[in-house]
Amino acid sequence: MNEYVVDVGQRHIREINEEIQEACARGDRIRVVNTLSRHNLGIGLPDGAEIQFEGSVGYYCGGLNTGATLEIERNAGWALGEGMAKGTITVGGYSGMSCGAAMIGGTIHVKGDAGPRCGVAMKGGNIVVEGRIGYQSGFMAHSGKIIALGGAGDSCADALWEGEVWVASDVDSLGVDVKVVEPTAEQVEEVNAILEPLGLADSSRDWRKMVSGQRLWFFESRDAGAWLMI
Amino acid sequence: MCGIAGRILAGTGSVGHDLVELMDAQEHRGADSTGFAIYGPPRDTGYVVRGMGFDRKDMESAMEDLLHCLRDHGSDLLGEPDIIADRQRHYCFRIEISDPDNMAAWVADADTLTDRIEVQSCGRSLEIIKDIGGAKTVADKHGVRDLVGTHGLGHARLATESDVRPNASHPFWARPFPDVAIVHNGQITDYFTWRDRLERQGYRFLTGNDSELIAVWVSDRMKAGLTMGQALKLSIGSIDGVFTYMIANADGIGFAKDRFAMKPLVAIDQKGELAMATEEQAVRRIFVGECDVINYDGPSLTGLWGVGNRAMAA
Repeated sequence: MNEYVVDVGQRHIREINEEIQEACARGDRIRVVNTLSRHNLGIGLPDGAEIQFEGSVGYYCGGLNTGATLEIERNAGWALGEGMAKGTITVGGYSGMSCGAAMIGGTIHVKGDAGPRCGVAMKGGNIVVEGRIGYQSGFMAHSGKIIALGGAGDSCADALWEGEVWVASDVDSLGVDVKVVEPTAEQVEEVNAILEPLGLADSSRDWRKMVSGQRLWFFESRDAGAWLMI
Repeated sequence: MCGIAGRILAGTGSVGHDLVELMDAQEHRGADSTGFAIYGPPRDTGYVVRGMGFDRKDMESAMEDLLHCLRDHGSDLLGEPDIIADRQRHYCFRIEISDPDNMAAWVADADTLTDRIEVQSCGRSLEIIKDIGGAKTVADKHGVRDLVGTHGLGHARLATESDVRPNASHPFWARPFPDVAIVHNGQITDYFTWRDRLERQGYRFLTGNDSELIAVWVSDRMKAGLTMGQALKLSIGSIDGVFTYMIANADGIGFAKDRFAMKPLVAIDQKGELAMATEEQAVRRIFVGECDVINYDGPSLTGLWGVGNRAMAA
């Protein structure tokens, strides 16, 4: 497999992404350099592609991923992997607001912390954060799992649908309509199976598994006062 | 969706140039208009005044009326006015003046002329330059890159709450408080109520822009005895809407974010030299190498950045 280097700098984003797509089509392994936290890098990457980003990337990196493996050396901006369907994204540092927003499949692995609303409206797949997840993480997650090893900020798991938020450390406060449940041994095994390929499995963790309390599913406007958080 | 930026240097330097870079990098966030608040080397006495007139044909008589108003308050021009005009109907001016007897009284009098000519900034150090168009267009027209100073703010506007008019763009001066300016990204939903209350206290608002409120609101609280840090914190629970705003005075820059964390802010701080912006890719125009970026992603955040060794009272 050849390695192909894409230099970002101040070039037009369309030109950069076309160059990346062409390299993917040739089957090259791609290294993206001089990233300068630019937005929209590596959008809609095809199944099987392998791409590394040196330094930090801006908003929407790896969005609409259809099966590629992305590795970001340092930090990612807002909405990393938004709407991705398949594949793996690994972030070496911090991942900004709305990491994995509306994703429907695949895995996002953040080695540092994640910003607020991590996994907002996600509809499938898994987000694994080795550090803390920020304010209101899991907001309105329809499906899929958010797994945080280092704790969670305020308003955690706010207004969930059928998504799950797993936290192995302190949670600052819970969002609205959250139920903290004791996971079964089988469910812990399922989570460990997600963590295993990332080298993070540990059966001794004290999990807080958060699911929807299901009251907000049947919203009545006369109860609106009960849901006002701010 | 607007873009905001701030810059603080360790000493007097090319703050105009840097803010143009920061705003050019964020032009996609709103190119209706672009503005800059530059804090130049401060004067011991006298003020620098920036403003705008709305009809070039009326320029001479409007400037003359403004001058009369100035003289009525014991002040006068120090040197010839600079006029910046092109084919557009409006024109911009910069004048240096001696101290009026009473700043608020002079501004109130000058505000009787605002259907023709408008004072948009006044300070020992502050100059606000704003106009319609993107960062480079405004910078070329007004020579922003050549402006030196210690710190400043920038704004790229996508108009949501009011007209695309050069005077309705940011930064906004905290009328009539010298040397105070703000830039805001977001929408204030209860600005009409707040403006009404402040107007009854005698404050003047010249545009339909929601952001104009913030500068006056914070300054009014500081006049009532709060520090900037306290006023910023109080604003989060008092002003309704989504916002990340930065407010500057002669001593530095402060910021506040709403309770829902809707609008971004990042900063790079290297030994007291700072660049702040809505987007990380903008601050990377100033600090090109990989370095630590502070993400202010959370809700209800405030902060203060002082210029040089000038501490800002928290």
